[in-house]
Amino acid sequence: MTATTSTSADRTPAALPVPLWNRHLAVLAAATVLLVPLPLVLPDAYQAVAVRVLVFALLSIGWNIMSGFGGMFSFGHAAYFGLGAYTEVWLLVELGVPPWIGMGVGMVVAAAFAVLVGFLALRYRLKGAYFALATFAFAEMLRLWAISSDVVNRAQGYHVPLRPEPSWWYLQFEPGAPEYFWIALGLTAFAVVVTVLFLRTRTGQFAVAARDDEDAAAALGVPVMRVKLTTMAVSAAIASVAGAFYVQYYLFVDPDLAFGSAVSIQAILPAVIGGVATLWGPVLGAVVLGPLSDVTATLLRNPPAPLEFLHGRGGLDVVLYGVLLILILRLLPKGIYGTVREWWERR
Amino acid sequence: MRKTLICALVCALSLGLAACGGSAPPGAVGSASRGQLSAGEPIKIGSLHPLSGSAAADGQQMDNGARLAVEAINAAGGIASLGGAKLELLGADTQGKPEIGQSEAQRLISEGAVGLIGTYQSAVTANVAAVAERNKVPLVIDVSNADSILQQGYRYAFRVQPNATVLGTHGARYLNEVSAAAGKPAKTVAIFHEHGPFGVAVRDAFTAEAQRLGIQVGPVISYDPASVPDLTTQMTQVKAADVDVLMVAGYHRDAVLVAQAAQTVQPGVDAVFGVGNGGFDLPQFPADVGAAGNGFLNTNFHADMTNPRTRELAQLYRDRFGEEIRTAAVLAYDAVRVIAKALEEAGSADPTALRDAIAKGEFETLVAAPGPISFLENGENRNAVPILMQVQDGEVKQVHPTSFEEAAPVYPATPAAR
Amino acid sequence: MNPAVGSPAGAEQAVPASVAQAVDGDEGAVAGARSTRQRLLWLRFGVVVAAVALAVVMALIRSGSGVVVTQSIVTGLLIGGVYGLAAMGLTLVFGVLDIINFAHGSFLAFALFVTYWLVSVGGVHPYLALVVVVPVMFGLGVLVQRGVLAKAMSEPLENQLLITLGLAMIVENGLLLLFGPDPRAVALPGDHGVPVLGAVADLSRILAAAGALVLAGLLFLLLQRTKLGTAIRAVATNSTGAQLVGIDTRRIHLLTFGIGTACAGAAGTLVAPLVTIEPTTGAMFNIVAFVVVVLGGMGNVVGALLGGLVIGLTEQVGALLLPGHSPLLAVFIVFVLVLFLRPQGLFGRSA
Repeated sequence: MTATTSTSADRTPAALPVPLWNRHLAVLAAATVLLVPLPLVLPDAYQAVAVRVLVFALLSIGWNIMSGFGGMFSFGHAAYFGLGAYTEVWLLVELGVPPWIGMGVGMVVAAAFAVLVGFLALRYRLKGAYFALATFAFAEMLRLWAISSDVVNRAQGYHVPLRPEPSWWYLQFEPGAPEYFWIALGLTAFAVVVTVLFLRTRTGQFAVAARDDEDAAAALGVPVMRVKLTTMAVSAAIASVAGAFYVQYYLFVDPDLAFGSAVSIQAILPAVIGGVATLWGPVLGAVVLGPLSDVTATLLRNPPAPLEFLHGRGGLDVVLYGVLLILILRLLPKGIYGTVREWWERR
Repeated sequence: MRKTLICALVCALSLGLAACGGSAPPGAVGSASRGQLSAGEPIKIGSLHPLSGSAAADGQQMDNGARLAVEAINAAGGIASLGGAKLELLGADTQGKPEIGQSEAQRLISEGAVGLIGTYQSAVTANVAAVAERNKVPLVIDVSNADSILQQGYRYAFRVQPNATVLGTHGARYLNEVSAAAGKPAKTVAIFHEHGPFGVAVRDAFTAEAQRLGIQVGPVISYDPASVPDLTTQMTQVKAADVDVLMVAGYHRDAVLVAQAAQTVQPGVDAVFGVGNGGFDLPQFPADVGAAGNGFLNTNFHADMTNPRTRELAQLYRDRFGEEIRTAAVLAYDAVRVIAKALEEAGSADPTALRDAIAKGEFETLVAAPGPISFLENGENRNAVPILMQVQDGEVKQVHPTSFEEAAPVYPATPAAR
Repeated sequence: MNPAVGSPAGAEQAVPASVAQAVDGDEGAVAGARSTRQRLLWLRFGVVVAAVALAVVMALIRSGSGVVVTQSIVTGLLIGGVYGLAAMGLTLVFGVLDIINFAHGSFLAFALFVTYWLVSVGGVHPYLALVVVVPVMFGLGVLVQRGVLAKAMSEPLENQLLITLGLAMIVENGLLLLFGPDPRAVALPGDHGVPVLGAVADLSRILAAAGALVLAGLLFLLLQRTKLGTAIRAVATNSTGAQLVGIDTRRIHLLTFGIGTACAGAAGTLVAPLVTIEPTTGAMFNIVAFVVVVLGGMGNVVGALLGGLVIGLTEQVGALLLPGHSPLLAVFIVFVLVLFLRPQGLFGRSA
């Protein structure tokens, strides 16, 4: 599968030659290096927004692997995010396990759960909307179980115990410390690298092939079930990392924050807006959506004269998310990055 | 190669720009060191409440209450020991979300707030308390009932309202006293509670105290306050158990369901007895449920309407905002005055000195309580005690203990049929 | 996927009479196949009833009180009727347009607020609000379909799903923005408890469930007995074939989405006296509606009603069986089981 002509509608990344992958990696390295000094120049409040953007991006990158490249639309990615968060915090609070190890264990737990869900779904041949609904149902069941289970402190959730000294090992620093941003940046870059590497492997390319035409792929000898399960596992592992980091940054988690449907939607929106099944789509989408909440909050706090009646009201940011989502889907169905890339290549 | 470079630059640039696209802090404070005030500069207090989202009505009230307190203090000359320095309230909207609460708290602190009040939702308060602790800025919690917040060993968090355990314990005691005084001592109590940490804590404390007083507790039924559509089945279970009293620990939405179910099913209890119930003593509850809510009792912290100063505040609130003041707003008012008096006593705007003054001091309160606000080692208010209220003739009245009585309690208060 | 619209014996309707006739000599085989399908249908029905009966018996054992269990059954059936009512429009839209409308719950919430507004500002009797709500919602549905969804229909399913999700976010938060977060209430004048089989039920709830039956009946009549209904069923069964026969599919799509939204509107008005009216009320109904639709078979209106009854019972009896847990958990367990074991629903046709 060498580079095809640019008129082909199929610009799936797997069709790109390896040197182009390296180009993406070079961009990633450059961007990461350029961003390292960012927290040192940004005031604390903006830094919180930047970290939030990175957490969204991380979660959405994970979603994109399974739903974009793998074509298995997941409406319940909160399940993996939440499992990462709860595993990490439970190990920390109950057993004193350091967060990095907890994060690793969380990845395993989330991947295992994804394989379970995937196996059941594929065995019973759930596709498209039914598959999406099944993923949603599983996330909701996890939430409902967590709310009433004593094992995980029921609806009370967990507080991360405060440490007297900043610590890399325990992933806790002074409030507003640049280390949080750097770790988030590192994790996000890592996720992008994983995506690239995954898509370069045979499993990744098989996954994209299966997405495009499952029957043909199967006929050609692709082990579809195994490929799909692997894709789901990788996707879940990355989403769980976002969850584990989230807990360490916000120092608190409860069943709604971990498994709520809002999280599942947060996983989807950036990728759709940026460009599903593109490498940079989720990142770009997160960059657009992340500060949107803050901007609307500021607006509502001191609305300009014609919007005075909106003072103190909530919900504007979500309305804007919805409008943006629909606009993108109608006008730029490939997402911002996807459309730009297409235009760029067509010139 | 050129394409790649351009791409990289654009991406990095947009990330940077977008990170700057967040809220611009109005008049960001420069590098003034903590607590050092230049002459004439106001002392900033941060007010963190849900001004949007589902709890916005309460959040707005609390912000308003805090504002009224700041105005009153400034009108009386500001902080005398700091040269008459005025107070300035920095309001922030937590939107009811922990991560927004956290970033807003951070923002207010970086803008120079020397003390914080808030926040209403326990999950948000937990986050804000952590921020306050790490920044060494005192937080005076006006409303937030989760016990766990003050069990983390924080030195910079204080709570004005009684926590869930105090509510539960006093609820059992008041029930015992009132029912015995009426000649029909409650011997068996069924419990409805919302399944979250608040409901569970109240249930446990109530049960422990009730059993100590010789009251039998059961059946105990929990529900999800956000999604339960109807409580008729649960009410029928209560009816089948043939108990004396039904205790309810929940929020507003399910309070309405309880009233409706009680009216429909007629469980034959002597009273419906709320403990820390978020609905039964709201000013609009009688209007929401009509006759169904008549006689409902609630053990809760409440603005002391027998205190003329509280009534003055209520009138002021009515004139300014056209609404009946809720207890939450009075608590916010109290919280600001705690900080103000502590500033006065510390003679310094340094947050750590402020914290010490709060920990040691005694503060007047407009909430019904046996004594002034005064904090224990863990930050709880040792004099935070709930009182008993009852819906009588479409109004919420204070009925017990006698020192706070607006009207005598009516017991038994069997829920009326339609 | 040709979901049969309108009846539980959907298997039969989907076989056009012409095909049956054309298979000469095989009439016996076709008839035999038909009666096997019917038997299987009754078998499935029986399984569901047996499962429900088993759950009831277990609940009896658990709670030890016949009265409580009876109450839970009565409440469950009545709530279930309401759930079915909420789901009917959704399943119709899916059956005809293949659109999974995530905004259905928010449309219901919209209707709730319109009803509230009419009652509180206009002093109108809540049920009279139907006169305004139904046409308004119909118009809204047509607008939405025309403006936003029509062109997306040829795009992958995920896009439609996301567009309706975006709509849901806009409508629900628009309501929050306009009306604020305070919960409202609408009361049915003259509401009282009615004794039913030893249990009690509110009149408003009984009327809502009755409304569900009436609506189901009306929809059934529309689909089975009118020309429009036949056209709708034709488009549902075979869109291309319908076009070839001269049916304007675009018009049918518009009308069907309008009808589906109007159903959500009617559900909202009937349910108004029963629920606390908040912008988030719709989201709760949304989830349950989806479960009901999957259970009943996507596109099957009567299946939606029956599915609603099953879910209502599951929720109420489930609360007795799993006392520490949210009754929603029982609902989701059923949901997942149905998704895996029989995704076309209990009454839908085999995929």
